[in-house]
Amino acid sequence: MDNSAIRISSDKEKVSRFRFILNELKPKGKLLTPFNIIATPVIITGIVLIVIRFMYGLGAITNLSQEVPWGLWIGFDVVTGVAFAGGAYIITFMVYILNLKSFKPIVRVTVLNGFLAYVFYAGALLLDLGRPWNVINPIIGNSFGVSSVLFLVAWHFLLYMIAQLIEFSPAIAEWLGAKRARKILASMTIAAVIFGITLSVLHQSGLGALYLMAKEKIHPLWYSEFIPIMFLVSSVFAGLSMVIFEGAVSRKVFFNQLTDKNKRAHHRIVVNLAKICAGAMFVYFFMQILVFIHGQRWEYISTPMGLWFLLEIVGFVVIPMLMYVLAFKRENNFLIKFAAILTMIGIILNRLNVTIIGFRWDDAVQYVPSWMEIVVTLTVIFTEVMIFRWVIRRMPVLRDSPEWIKE
Amino acid sequence: MDGFTYHNIFETKGQEYLVIIVFLLLLIPFWLFLFKREKLKSGMKRILAYLSFDNLRIPKGVFFGKNHTWAFMERNGSVSMGIDDFLIQTLGVERVDGILKEGTQLNKGDLLAEIGSNEKKLKIYSPISGTITETNREIIENPDIMSDDPYIDGWMVKVNPSNWTQDTQQLLLKDDSINWEKNEFSRFKDFIVRSVNKYSFEPDALILQDGGEIAGRTLEDLPIEIWTDFQKEFLNM
Repeated sequence: MDNSAIRISSDKEKVSRFRFILNELKPKGKLLTPFNIIATPVIITGIVLIVIRFMYGLGAITNLSQEVPWGLWIGFDVVTGVAFAGGAYIITFMVYILNLKSFKPIVRVTVLNGFLAYVFYAGALLLDLGRPWNVINPIIGNSFGVSSVLFLVAWHFLLYMIAQLIEFSPAIAEWLGAKRARKILASMTIAAVIFGITLSVLHQSGLGALYLMAKEKIHPLWYSEFIPIMFLVSSVFAGLSMVIFEGAVSRKVFFNQLTDKNKRAHHRIVVNLAKICAGAMFVYFFMQILVFIHGQRWEYISTPMGLWFLLEIVGFVVIPMLMYVLAFKRENNFLIKFAAILTMIGIILNRLNVTIIGFRWDDAVQYVPSWMEIVVTLTVIFTEVMIFRWVIRRMPVLRDSPEWIKE
Repeated sequence: MDGFTYHNIFETKGQEYLVIIVFLLLLIPFWLFLFKREKLKSGMKRILAYLSFDNLRIPKGVFFGKNHTWAFMERNGSVSMGIDDFLIQTLGVERVDGILKEGTQLNKGDLLAEIGSNEKKLKIYSPISGTITETNREIIENPDIMSDDPYIDGWMVKVNPSNWTQDTQQLLLKDDSINWEKNEFSRFKDFIVRSVNKYSFEPDALILQDGGEIAGRTLEDLPIEIWTDFQKEFLNM
C-alpha cells in the first residue's frame, strides 16, 4: 500500500521529516499528461502577465477602467469560485452536524477543494486591487472600514480559510506521521466546522450584498434586494454540483487512490447529492419567480436581456433540476453528471450576469475581458488543480488514513 | 441608466401569495415523487414484498458459507464478514446482539453474533478464522443498514484472517453460490410449509406447492419453535 504516513513512521530513524518533505516535493506520476501539456504554457504565460500587471498596473493587461473597475477576476474567480466552493460547508454540515455518515468518504476531498478554492480565488482578489498591500488594512485596523460589506467579506475569507485549514489539518498530520499533532487537530474539527458553516452562510450572501449598492448599474432582471439570499441558496446546489463533477473527475484520475469502500459508496453518495440539488433548485426557482413578480419585471422579459434571463432560469435551473429528479429516480449516474455540468454553467452565467454581463449593460462601450485576463484566470484555475493533485497524491484524502490513528 | 425607480411593494403582494401557494401545492407532489421510492423500497421490503429468488442479491466475488454468512477479502488483506441477503430477507433483522469485540481471536465455527427480533434469536457462526480488527457498530444502532446493502455497509466484523486459503475451500463462490442459494430458497419454502403444518400454526395458511410466493420476513411472526428448527437446518455448521 502506498501510504506515505506509514512510510515516514517506520523510516523515522533514517530520514528526517525535513528530508521527507523535500522528497515529497518532487513530482510523482507522469509528467507528460494532457493536462500538463495544456496547463504548463498557460501558467507560464499567466505568471508573465501577472508580473506585467504588478509592474505597470491593471491597465496594462486588463480592459478595466474607472467606469468598470471590477471585471472577470472578481466576477468569475471570486464570486463564481466561492459559490462553487460552497460544497464544503454543505457536506461538513451534513456529516458533522446532521451525522449523515454516508457522506463521510467525500468530506476530506470536498474540504480540500473548498480550501484551495478560497486560497486561490480570494487570492485572485489581490490581482484586482490597485494597491494590493492595503488588503491587510481591514485586518490590522488601519481603518477597519466597518461600514463596508468588504470588511465582512475580508474577515470572513480569512477566518474561513483558517477554519477549513483546521478541518483539513488531520490529513496533513497523517501525511507527516505527526501522531500527537493529529490528535489535537482532530479534536478541533467540530469547532472549526461549526465556525466554518456560520462564516460560509454569511459570506456566501455577503458576496451578493456587495452588489446591493450597485442598484443603478445592474440590469433590473438581476438586481433585487434579495441578491444575498439568492446567492446563498444557489451556493447549495452550485457547491454540490461541483462536488459531483469533481468526484467524477477524481474517480477517473485518482482511481488507484480510492479505497474499495469509497468506490462502492460513491454511487449512493452521488445519487443522494442529486436529490438535494433537485430540492434546492426547486426552492431557488420559486424564489426567482417571487423576486421577478415582486420587482415587477414583466416589461423586460421581451427584450434581448429578458430572453437571456429566461435562458438562465429555464435552461440552466429548471432543466437541470428536472434532470436531477429523473436521474435520482433512475439512479442514472451519467445524467447526474450531465445535470451537474449544466447547473455549473447556470451558476457561472448567473454570477457573470450580475457582475459583468448585466453590470452597466446600457453603457455605450461594454466591458469585455481581454485575452490576458482570461489567461490569468486560467492560470489561477490550473495552478489550483495542480496543487489539488499534488495533495491528493501525497496525503490520505481519498485513500484510508494510516492504521496508527486508531491507537 | 434609469436612475432611481420606485416600486409600490404592496402592488404585487396578491400575486406573490399566489406563487407561494402554488409553490406549497407543488412542493407536496415534488417531495412525494422524490422520496416515494425510498418509502416504497422499505415498505415493500417490510410488508408487501414477496420473497423471490430473483430479488436476492448474490455478488459474484464474495465467498458464501453454508450457514448463510459471507466473507470478502479487501485489497489490504482484511476480510469483512456478514450475513447474506437470504437470511436478511427471510428474517428481517431488528436486533444485532453480542458481536465479538476487536482483538478477539476467532476460529471457524465460533459464535460471531446473535440476530433476531426481541426474544427470538438466531446464532451466527463465523465462516473463517482470524483476529477481529473492527466491529461495525452502526449495524447495532441501525440494523436496517444490513437490509439496505448486506455486502457493503452491512458487514458485521472485519478480521485479519489466519487460515484464509483453507477456510475458503469450503466456501462457495460465483455460480456455485448462486446455485446453492437457489437450492436453499426452495428448501426454505419446503421448510416453512413443513413447519407450519408441524406446529399447526394457522392451518392451511401456507400451501406453496402450487408455486405460490411467500412473504418477506417470513420468520418474523412465526413461533420460537420454528426459529429453533431454522437454526438447526440452515445456520448450524
